[in-house]
Amino acid sequence: MTIAPPRTTRRSSTTSRTSSRTGSADAARANRGGAGLKQDGGGRGGSGAVARVFGNPVPQPPQHGKPGGLLRHLNLGTALLLGSVMALGFGYLANRLTKSGATDATFAPLAPEYIYLAGLFGWTLGFSIGIGAFDGPVRWLLGRELTHADAEYLAGKNLGWQRYFKYTTDHKVVGIQYLVAAMVTLGFGGLLAMLIRTELGVTWAEVFTPSIYNSIIGTHGIAMIIAMIVIVMGPVGNFIVPMMIGARDMAFPRLNALSLWLFVIALVCLISSLFVGGVQDGWSVYQPLAAQSPPGMLGYQMTIIIFAISTGVASVNLIVTILLMRAKGMTWVRTPIFVYGVFGAAIMGLYAFPFYQYSQLLAMSDRILDTSFFVPLQGGSVWLYENLFWLLGHPEVYVILLPSTAIMLELMPVFYRKPLFSFNFAIAGIVGVVALSGLVWAHHMYMTGWAPSANYPFMLSTELISIPVGFLVLVAIGTMWRGTVWTRLPVMAIYALVFNKIIGGITGIYLSDVPVDQYMHGSMFVVAHFHYMLMGAGLFGAMGGIAYFFPKMTGRMLDERAGSIGLWTAFAGFQLTFGSMFVAGLQGQPRRVLQFDDLFNISNWLSTIGAFVIGLGMLIFMGAIISSWIAGKKAPANPWGSKSLEWQTPTPVPLENFEVLPVVTSRPYDYGVPDPYDAKMLADEKAREKQTAKVAV
Amino acid sequence: MILFIVLWVALSPLGWLVTDAMNMTGAPASKVMEEIQQTIQVFTIVSMPLCAFVLAVLLYSLFGWKHVQGDRPKFESPAIRTNRVGVGLWVGATSVLALFLVGWGLVELAQITANAYGTIPSDEQPDDEKPLIVNVTGQQWVWTFEYPEHDRVTSAQLYLPVDRPVYFNVTSKDVIHNFWAVELGVKIDANPGAITQTGVTPNKIGTFNVRCAELCGLHHAYMQTKIRVVDNDDFNSWVREMGGQKTS
Amino acid sequence: MARATTESKMPLSPTTGEPMSTIARRSIGALWAFIVMDVSGTLALIISYSYLWALNVNDAWAPPGAKLDAAQTDETLPKASDVTFAPEWPFWAIFAGVVVATIFMWFAYKRLVAGHKGEAIAAATFSLLLSGALLVAQVVQIISFEFKTSQGAYASAVYALTASNVVHLTLVCFLLIGIVNRTHMGLINPVVAYQARMMSIWMTWISIAFLLGAVCTTLMLESPNTDPAVFGTFNVS
Repeated sequence: MTIAPPRTTRRSSTTSRTSSRTGSADAARANRGGAGLKQDGGGRGGSGAVARVFGNPVPQPPQHGKPGGLLRHLNLGTALLLGSVMALGFGYLANRLTKSGATDATFAPLAPEYIYLAGLFGWTLGFSIGIGAFDGPVRWLLGRELTHADAEYLAGKNLGWQRYFKYTTDHKVVGIQYLVAAMVTLGFGGLLAMLIRTELGVTWAEVFTPSIYNSIIGTHGIAMIIAMIVIVMGPVGNFIVPMMIGARDMAFPRLNALSLWLFVIALVCLISSLFVGGVQDGWSVYQPLAAQSPPGMLGYQMTIIIFAISTGVASVNLIVTILLMRAKGMTWVRTPIFVYGVFGAAIMGLYAFPFYQYSQLLAMSDRILDTSFFVPLQGGSVWLYENLFWLLGHPEVYVILLPSTAIMLELMPVFYRKPLFSFNFAIAGIVGVVALSGLVWAHHMYMTGWAPSANYPFMLSTELISIPVGFLVLVAIGTMWRGTVWTRLPVMAIYALVFNKIIGGITGIYLSDVPVDQYMHGSMFVVAHFHYMLMGAGLFGAMGGIAYFFPKMTGRMLDERAGSIGLWTAFAGFQLTFGSMFVAGLQGQPRRVLQFDDLFNISNWLSTIGAFVIGLGMLIFMGAIISSWIAGKKAPANPWGSKSLEWQTPTPVPLENFEVLPVVTSRPYDYGVPDPYDAKMLADEKAREKQTAKVAV
Repeated sequence: MILFIVLWVALSPLGWLVTDAMNMTGAPASKVMEEIQQTIQVFTIVSMPLCAFVLAVLLYSLFGWKHVQGDRPKFESPAIRTNRVGVGLWVGATSVLALFLVGWGLVELAQITANAYGTIPSDEQPDDEKPLIVNVTGQQWVWTFEYPEHDRVTSAQLYLPVDRPVYFNVTSKDVIHNFWAVELGVKIDANPGAITQTGVTPNKIGTFNVRCAELCGLHHAYMQTKIRVVDNDDFNSWVREMGGQKTS
Repeated sequence: MARATTESKMPLSPTTGEPMSTIARRSIGALWAFIVMDVSGTLALIISYSYLWALNVNDAWAPPGAKLDAAQTDETLPKASDVTFAPEWPFWAIFAGVVVATIFMWFAYKRLVAGHKGEAIAAATFSLLLSGALLVAQVVQIISFEFKTSQGAYASAVYALTASNVVHLTLVCFLLIGIVNRTHMGLINPVVAYQARMMSIWMTWISIAFLLGAVCTTLMLESPNTDPAVFGTFNVS
């Protein structure tokens, strides 16, 4: 913002500006003390001071109070306190305002719905106020601009460990916060998965009642989807991408903090739903079954509504950062592939997430306001819900897949010491996926009967999208070709990723074929397919990426023996679980069932055994992460010998990332010696030999 | 190269194994299901070369080309940024594969749809060639089958005459269910507020399964019933038993 | 009101030290991204409206009165029910108002860039007051709907569209208060005017959103599907 102060203090401002030119050092020194410029009378007093921002003197707006203002006093504790108080308060109010004994059309009591929803709303509002999310908009409204000292406080300068529990804007802090939150969500989802497999493994009895079981599978689904969306874009996207492009931070640091804390709010909404009946309708919560669900469904809807805002804000931030903040000289040709992957995922999230959000808003309206978007008796359509849902539902899986694949492609050159094979086709693959992802959604609706003739074009587009995905596999195996591999943990994950992606991709082609889908839809075959893609390729890729960036993000080396044991144990269990699940699907087992014919027993026993092996492997891996984080070997600045910008920073990374912003002059992945078998080189060699022969003679 | 061939051969039996798995619930009982199984077999077989190739590269890169462990080694690999032939082959092969699969699928779909919608009844057909119409109602958590042309006989089990096209009208009274006649290869959502259609011609006598394939609430897992495909005379006796007078 | 800084060069951002023109580019880029999100959301509502209109599930698209009116052929009797489609003119009136408010905001931005701060503030304030009045008018329209939310899919869709309008207008009012205040304080000035520009762009999109809603509620009233299936049966109405 410009620093031109109001008319009343014209004189002081001019004075301060001249003084800034001559006595900048003094003024800067005075300002760096951090003490407020109270002597100006605060508020509309003249700006008076100048700060040194990365070496240059920059005039400052008036400093209101200590740097950081209100945010000095706000942290996770105040947020939790205010969130809980307002949740209880709004809930109590809703209770008072609801007529006693009020019921809806199906004679279900209305009070729990209103109380729970009011409580969720109070929680969201209270937590947001308590963490300081409204500080930005209110400051903007009142014209109280941030000074450099404010910005440094917000970024957590000199705050130590406390900055992880505040509304901190430093992208590195946000990255770590995301990592922890994502791992918590993954653990939560994983625990639920163990419960599911327990039920399916105990084929002779019902371990859980149907309502609890339905609740477990629904919550497992949505928790894992949310965790997978965040697991790479959150930690790595936030921590690493700005450094990878040679910037000091993201384009909108406060929006960055906002997206993280909204995620935390949404997560609590989801967990709270378990206590009020759960989400008993799968993760896709098709209407009208969702309308029969207990109040926990409102928790789901609120989770998605908030999470969509979080993802949207994060997408905007990533897109603008990548488009406009790349270092000087980093043309698109010189941009690392991971940046492309995150960019593509952000674009898909940007245009597609609102459809999901609105589907839940409309569903909530149906529930609370008696509208009938999805109530067929009153004119609503179930197909409307399915279309709105899958308009996001499909691009979403690429939002999960692209960052994981891109991070693995990013690190392969480092460990094979050769450039990424066919960088152009890697980009073509990402662009193709992003372009086609919005055109395939109705392949989830082949069997709904909504538009039988539409099945043909959607089958075409879905089969076609396998081609750009195939490009990414091509780039991976091309990079392996004739390369010596340095077998460290991060790169070993690529083997898991490609193996799983091939299986997932081919089974996806089966499902994209409408006649085959006529048998496979709604069976365990589909479940196995998407676990191979999202977990097999997505999660294992994310694990590799996190292992790769662990030294830069935490300053320590990840214990590779434990990490590898964990990863490969989980991999072995994974093949057993989901390989058997393909068989169960082929045999004809429907999905989302807790009891089934004896015919499917063997497949399910094998799957359950595999699941416990996965659980063991994941626990080992998680344990490796936690123990290395606390007490691992200290990491050097560039343990992998990468030539990429983010590894050229010291560890731990200073607040401003780079003392001087870098200028990029060469292509990425400048590894490797000239290829002795390159045709052109061989021809040149021959020509040179001929020349020397001629001369000799 | 050898590794590639070995893997390809090793993986080929999958084409038949998948069919065996599907047959565990019962052999195909209609042309539709037979075509679906054939499609799955063909898809598996044509995907095997690609799969084998990728796996071969994965394995070879670990055991064929060198690998190094430990602290950062001082090697560099040949800087192959691209390879026109390799890329061209891959793009060509995957595109051809994808287009083949699309082509096969589109033709297949058209055939199945013709089979299904070819059963749409019209008044010009002679009585015994007319498809049998069955109204299928899904509700939490039972299936009800109604025979509108046979004095609206209603039944919880689906009786069908063999070798006669049957045309299903499907709807739901509450939430979305999915009518899946497993061995007949028929699947269509039962939507509340809409009527969806599908059709098939059973060509084998026996007992088969109907399962619900869309989560519909607490007892979704138990929403199953049986299909009994019998010859025409047995079918007529059954209709009479159920109280219907008009037979075909 | 041009200060010493403005005559020499672009002022720098106090937090990051970069020229304000760079910050402006980023912010306008972010605005476009947010507009994409809002376009998707508004499209979700438009799709809902038009899809439900086309399907007419269980013959429950139109409010109950519309069907009664159609069935009633005797013109001399009073209308069987007033619960019919909402009158179309309020949608267009509010849309026209939003367009006027947008034009005034653009005018404010242009005058500010030309150096006339007083005119800019006046135009922006008028835009703010008009937007506030439109917000009230929109709420009044919602309250005055004859149909309840539970009376059919048309009712649901119209309530959703008008609710979205209310949210949009509330946001516009909040932002305009900030724009007026900040321009008055000089934080938005001829050299660094990008936030006024952003506001104008945003309001242009809002106008389009209102237009889409008005088009739906004028052109898509009677459903084209005149023989939908009766719920739970295999009969056609």
